[in-house]
Amino acid sequence: MDVKYINPFFDAFLNVMPELGIKDIKKGNISLRGKIIESMGVLIIIGIVGDLKGNIIYETTIENAKAIVSKMMMGAPVKELDEMAQSAIEELTNMLTANAATSFSNEGLRIDISPPTLMYGNFKASSNADKTICVEMIIDGLSFRVNVAIEKYK
Amino acid sequence: MKDIKVVVVDDSPFSIALLRDMLTDNGFDVVGEATCLEETVEVVGKLRPNIVTMDMTIPGTDGIECTKAIHAIDPNINVIIVSSMMDDEIVKKAKKNHACGYIQKPVDPEELTLLINRIMADDELFKELDEVYYKVYKESFMDVFNKLMKTVPKFGEESNSDVELVSRGISVVMGIIGKYSGRMLLDMSYDTAEKLSEFALKRKPKSVEEMLNIMGEICNMVAGNASSVINRKNKLLGLRVAPPSIFYGNSINISKAELDTTTSSVANTEFGEIYVNVGFQRRSGEWMSNI
Repeated sequence: MDVKYINPFFDAFLNVMPELGIKDIKKGNISLRGKIIESMGVLIIIGIVGDLKGNIIYETTIENAKAIVSKMMMGAPVKELDEMAQSAIEELTNMLTANAATSFSNEGLRIDISPPTLMYGNFKASSNADKTICVEMIIDGLSFRVNVAIEKYK
Repeated sequence: MKDIKVVVVDDSPFSIALLRDMLTDNGFDVVGEATCLEETVEVVGKLRPNIVTMDMTIPGTDGIECTKAIHAIDPNINVIIVSSMMDDEIVKKAKKNHACGYIQKPVDPEELTLLINRIMADDELFKELDEVYYKVYKESFMDVFNKLMKTVPKFGEESNSDVELVSRGISVVMGIIGKYSGRMLLDMSYDTAEKLSEFALKRKPKSVEEMLNIMGEICNMVAGNASSVINRKNKLLGLRVAPPSIFYGNSINISKAELDTTTSSVANTEFGEIYVNVGFQRRSGEWMSNI
């Protein structure tokens, strides 16, 4: 797994979030994780095929997910992670991954993405890769992680 | 190609006449026309066209409201916005409301014909996938199961309802990507996964990881084989699968899938129940326009 694969995701946050009215985007920690990811509460998984293959696993807490959806809806209160809020978060990850896919294609790597699947609760996830790079983004002070588990497709 | 039925919605009789002639000249069957929301609902409801051309400016309403009204009648009717205005904001709004294309007035007959033909070809292709996918994934599941476990599971009733569900304990998710994208999800209890692994390994799995690995691999075989069968039926579908991700824990809620078609049923195996859910979406990226 190549560290350069994470830059398109940084850029995706910088490109997409301001369009949704969220301007305060900072990079948090970058860490290398093993196969098993202990969920913070909410995970959204998007499959990748093409010149690169693997999965992108977005991760946040239920509270942060609700707060981000609320910001996306110009401050409207979001009390529950209900169907509407789940759909909004899925759509956000879809936009971020699609945006990253465009950056990859600008570098000559063509990838296609699957629709997102969102899970929440108390659980662990086992990714396809032995090593996953975890990039933490701080969105208006809220932690939102991207676990990048993609490899060059031989 | 079979007869393609078109309804023209426009507030200007001049525009209707132009579009009607243009469409008829190019072999389409213009079955009706409407100039306001009420007429649109009546005509579309009665005639069920394949395509509606939709003006943006309609007195008392707009093209977007009319599009929503049409999709309330039948979400499979394809709406093409035909308007003199064309800017990012309007196009975005049209996409968001599930219009499937946008053409600027004055309309170029070739552009309109090409767009309709592409939409109809796409319609047929998605229908083709929709008709076969679940049967193929189910057969692939039975086949893989038979080869590995020497038994053929019995499937319960199929459901197309798309609802949030609570995991039995272990969920394996695989992205399916191609002309249309989707996902396959297998869900089972810890106990079922353990029994399955024990049978496949002929010993108890050494660790949770080993067990999860086997579930991932089974899922991979099912989705991979099924996708190949579908690609052989029609190579335009070009399905490929992303590697499996496995979720396990004592509380997993799986959100409603944002897909245009989903089918699920429960396979009753001698190791326990396995829930098999497959679905596809008509990707929004398939927006058709000649912009």
